Amino acid sequence: MEAELAAELAALKESIAMTTTINLEVFYWWCTTVMILIHAGFLGYEMGASRMKHTLAAGVKNILAFAFVIPTFFFFGWWIYLAMYNGFVPDFEAGAGGLPWSGSMGPNLADNATGVFWAAFVLFAATTASIMSGAVIERIRMSSFVILAIILGSGVWILAASWGWHPDGWMTSTFGYHDVGCAGVIHIISGFFALGVLLNLGPRIGKFNPDGSANTIRPHNLPMVLIGLMLIIVGFFGFLAGCAIYNGEAQWVNIYNQPMTLSSYAFNTLMGFAGGIIGAYVLTRDPFWMMSGALCGIISCAAGLDLYYPPLAFVIAFIGGIIAPLSARYIEKMGIDDAVGAVPVHGICGVWGVVACGIFASGYPNMAEGAADVNFVGQVVSAVILIALGFIPGFVVSFLMKKAGILRVPGQAELRGLDEVEVKFPAYPENQTPSSYGGDMPKPAPAPVA
Amino acid sequence: MASPIDSWEGAEVIFTFADSPAVIGFALLASVLLTAGVIIATFMHENHSFSSMTDD
Repeated sequence: MEAELAAELAALKESIAMTTTINLEVFYWWCTTVMILIHAGFLGYEMGASRMKHTLAAGVKNILAFAFVIPTFFFFGWWIYLAMYNGFVPDFEAGAGGLPWSGSMGPNLADNATGVFWAAFVLFAATTASIMSGAVIERIRMSSFVILAIILGSGVWILAASWGWHPDGWMTSTFGYHDVGCAGVIHIISGFFALGVLLNLGPRIGKFNPDGSANTIRPHNLPMVLIGLMLIIVGFFGFLAGCAIYNGEAQWVNIYNQPMTLSSYAFNTLMGFAGGIIGAYVLTRDPFWMMSGALCGIISCAAGLDLYYPPLAFVIAFIGGIIAPLSARYIEKMGIDDAVGAVPVHGICGVWGVVACGIFASGYPNMAEGAADVNFVGQVVSAVILIALGFIPGFVVSFLMKKAGILRVPGQAELRGLDEVEVKFPAYPENQTPSSYGGDMPKPAPAPVA
Repeated sequence: MASPIDSWEGAEVIFTFADSPAVIGFALLASVLLTAGVIIATFMHENHSFSSMTDD
C-alpha cells in the first residue's frame, strides 16, 4: 500500500513537472505570437508614413528586415547573448548551447525552453531593426538597409542585452543596472543606432530648404499610421510578458532573477500608455504624436515596470510623452530628417526611462552576488554606455557605406518614387495619375551634399 | 537516413541529420550562403533598376 502511494506520488510529481514545462513553452509561444503584431504595426505605420510613391518600397524594406534578422540571429545572435555577458571577451562554455549546430538549436525532446526563448529574442531583435527602418524611409538603399538591420538586430542589440539584460551581465553586476522592459537595451540602442545612420544618410529631398528651414512631409495615410501604432501597442503586451520569466511552481522573476508579478507589468504598462498619450496630446494636439506618445509612455516606464507605483508610472510616462515631440523639434532644427521620430520616441525616451528608474527606483537589491543595488549613478552610466554602443556602429558602418556610394538611392529614383523604380509597381494602381503618383512633394530643393 | 534515432525511447536530439555533422554543416553553410547571396542579388537588382532609370 505504502509503495503504491509512493509510486502514485512520484507519477503525480512527474506529471506536474511536465505540465509546468509545457506551460512555460505555451506561455512564450503566445508571447511571440502577440509580438508579431509589433511587426504588423510597424509595417502599416511605415507604409502610411511614406509618401504614396514610396509606399510599397517602405513595406518591402520592413518585411525584409524581419526576414533577414531571423536566420542571422540563428547563425550568431543567440550565441552572442549567451557568451558575451562579460563584455567583449566571450565565455565559450556558456555560449556553446547557442552555437547553430548545438543540440539545443533544433527539435530536442529534452529541451522545451531554448526554441521558445530564442523565438522571443528574435522578435525583440526584429523590433530593433523595425525601429531604425521607419527613420530612413524613402531614400536608403534596400541592400544597405538589410545589412544595417542585421548588424543592429543580430549583433548590437543582443550584445547590449547580454551586458544589461542577462542575470550575469556585467552592467548589472557592476552598476546595478535595472531595465526589465528593455528601455535601454532595445530602445536606446536602436534609437541611437538610427541617429548614427541618419547623420550619414541625410534628409529626404525637399525636407529642408536652402536656408535650413524644414518642410513638413506628411504621411500619405495617417489613419494607417495610427492603426499601425496601435498594433505596436498590442504587440508590446506580448513583448513585455516575454520579458518575465515563467517559473512554474514559484513566483515569476524578471530577467535579473528578482521576484515580480505579471500584474505589476499590467498596472504600469497601461498607466504608461495613458500617460504618454495624454502628455503628447497636451503638447501637440497631433494624432500622430498622441499615438507615438503611447509608445513614449511605455518606453519611459519600461525599465522599472516591475517596481513603480502606478501613478508614478503615469507621471514618468506623461513626461516621456512631452520629451519626445520636443526632442523631435530640436532634432529637426539640427537638420536631421527622422521621418517617423524614431530617435526621440525610442532613443530619447529610452534614456529617460533608464534614468527615471535610477531616480525613482533606487535602493532595490540585486540578486547576483556582490552586485550593486539599483542606483541613479549606475543607471546614468549605463545609459551613456548604451548610447555609445548603439550610436558608434550605426554611424561607422553607414559612414563606410556612404563613402562607398551604396548608402542612398540616386536622387532621381527618390524623386520618381521607389515603388516605380525599384518595386516596379504602384501601391494604388487605380489612383495613379501624375499628380497623385508624384505625391505631395513640397517645393523641390537641391539634393543633399553626399 | 535523415533520422538520427531508431526508437523514441529516451530520444532527445531528434532534428534531421543530428548525428551527421557533415550534413548539418552543409545545411548551415547553404543557409548562410543563401542569406548573403540574396543581399548581393538585391544590390545588383538595385544597380540595374537605377541604371535603367537613367536610360529611360
